[in-house]
Amino acid sequence: MVNPVLLIAVPLGLAFAIPLFALFWKAAVKYIPPAALAFNLVISLLLLPKVLENPVIVSIGDWQPPFCINLVAGPVGVLFSAIIALVGLLVSIYALDYIKEGPTEKYHMLYLLLLTGATGVVLTGDIFNLFVFFEILCISSYALVAYLRERSGIESAVKYLIQGAVGSSLLLIGIGLLYGQFGTLNMADIAEKIASASPISLFVPMVLIITGLGVEAAIFPLNAWLPDAHSSAPSSISAILSGIAIEVGLYAVARVIFTIFGAQSFLPFLALLGILTLLVGEMCAFSQNNIKRMLAYSSIGQIGLILFALAIATSYGVTGGLFQLVSHALSKALLFLTAGYMIYRAGSMEISSLEGVGKKMPLTCLAFTIGAFSLVGLPPFIGFPSKFLVVQAALATQEAIFFVLIGLALLGTVIEAAYFFRVVQVLYFKGQRPNPGRKEAPIIALVPMFILTILIIVIGIYPRLITGVLNSAASELLNRVEYIRSVLG
Amino acid sequence: MGFLNSYIYYIGAFGLILIGLYIILVKRNLIKVIVGLGILDTGVNLFLISVGYITKGTAPIFSRTGIDSEDMVDPVPQALVLTAIVIGVAVLALALSLAIRLYQHYGTLNLRKIREQKW
Repeated sequence: MVNPVLLIAVPLGLAFAIPLFALFWKAAVKYIPPAALAFNLVISLLLLPKVLENPVIVSIGDWQPPFCINLVAGPVGVLFSAIIALVGLLVSIYALDYIKEGPTEKYHMLYLLLLTGATGVVLTGDIFNLFVFFEILCISSYALVAYLRERSGIESAVKYLIQGAVGSSLLLIGIGLLYGQFGTLNMADIAEKIASASPISLFVPMVLIITGLGVEAAIFPLNAWLPDAHSSAPSSISAILSGIAIEVGLYAVARVIFTIFGAQSFLPFLALLGILTLLVGEMCAFSQNNIKRMLAYSSIGQIGLILFALAIATSYGVTGGLFQLVSHALSKALLFLTAGYMIYRAGSMEISSLEGVGKKMPLTCLAFTIGAFSLVGLPPFIGFPSKFLVVQAALATQEAIFFVLIGLALLGTVIEAAYFFRVVQVLYFKGQRPNPGRKEAPIIALVPMFILTILIIVIGIYPRLITGVLNSAASELLNRVEYIRSVLG
Repeated sequence: MGFLNSYIYYIGAFGLILIGLYIILVKRNLIKVIVGLGILDTGVNLFLISVGYITKGTAPIFSRTGIDSEDMVDPVPQALVLTAIVIGVAVLALALSLAIRLYQHYGTLNLRKIREQKW
């Protein structure tokens, strides 16, 4: 029997062992994050078949659930921890060569802490514990955004820190209000007792918690930090922030809305916010000249689409949202990783300076193109089945509001296609410069790009590989009675 | 006066939270904004403590005889606040170290003058 606690304990312990290790043998420190995350990936995949039958509930300290801090390794938690470990592992392999300057041992420690925080958020069953893991995630990402110590990095880290700190204070006030009403912090216990509370006394904590989490999830009016932070961080960190951090924020929003509050009447508002986020993100991305800012705005757009799909709240809709989330994690990680070396070779982040890079580094650019096509939603890549499922779910609701909103979402996709095709055109067909000779990204960086590309194509052709897991994850999110029963017994 | 007596901690806590938010939103100097974050944190911590507080309550130590469990304060919010204080310290320390770097790069801490990154 594999214990889900290991998913948190091992990376956390190794993260704090890194500075000690660096005292003796500095060159080997960079191999610790890949090792820890490979361990996590193996454990998650071992757990996955078991939790599909029955969620594994771990009570820490052998107290019974309402009184202890518990971990709930259901389909959702293990699915997320597998994605976090997979993307984290690939990005940490990429970072072996990419991160050369600065205090590298601090980079690796913070990187591992960030992913530990993310894993903790998705596995915990205690709302204050969720806050603590969220703060681990946030604080390490503030520090990593400023890792390069450039003007832009410091400025965006300050912005990110101020907004994030206010957001987490609001989250903590919301948690305090919930504790004051119900006298418990266990999410299942709160969910059970919430039916007896008056709606007006639940509204304030819910709004505070959603606002607090929404800052990290980059939901529209709260996402001013995202384009700055994602574009000025090192590319490997941008990949993690876009591929993992904001998804974890969205997971927390979904968990709070579906499981704790069961707030059905709040969902149309969230769907509207999702579409607003999508349109704002895509339109801003369209007008960017800086490739990393463009990718960052495109993340905002994708987050909007996922939020919209989750807010449909049918089995189809949530499955589609989770599928889109997986697809965004893989595709956006691939895009940022490839963009990192394209920028490194071209010497500038301006899209116009990437002319002819397609001939210089053909493999990297091919991977970028595949990632871009997948995000736009072209077959046979993973973006196609996920977007298709979202559209299908919106149409299956038979409600006018979702018809209108999915129309707007498709408009957003058209804009998305326009700016991604423009970049691909610049890469391959623009510029009359003489052929500068091939200078590919180093082999150790090509390996993770290759694996991501393979995953994107294979899941795109054969989506049934993961739809089973996504389906049971969706039913765990939607069926709160089952969740309460499985935790409290 | 009964109202004031029973709700004075909540009034104080939300007063601190609002003062902190006001400072963060209005002040231009980064150091002042960080002070605002500190006040906001303090307000939230005071709020959490007052959720579990009983007037004239004592610490919940069951081995001491002669104390009714009705007179004990709730220990859970105090444990939460210990964690929240540690988190707050980490955030403030990181913010101050970023402020030093920011000053080295820009020669100013005025947030209205530091605007190279725009939408």
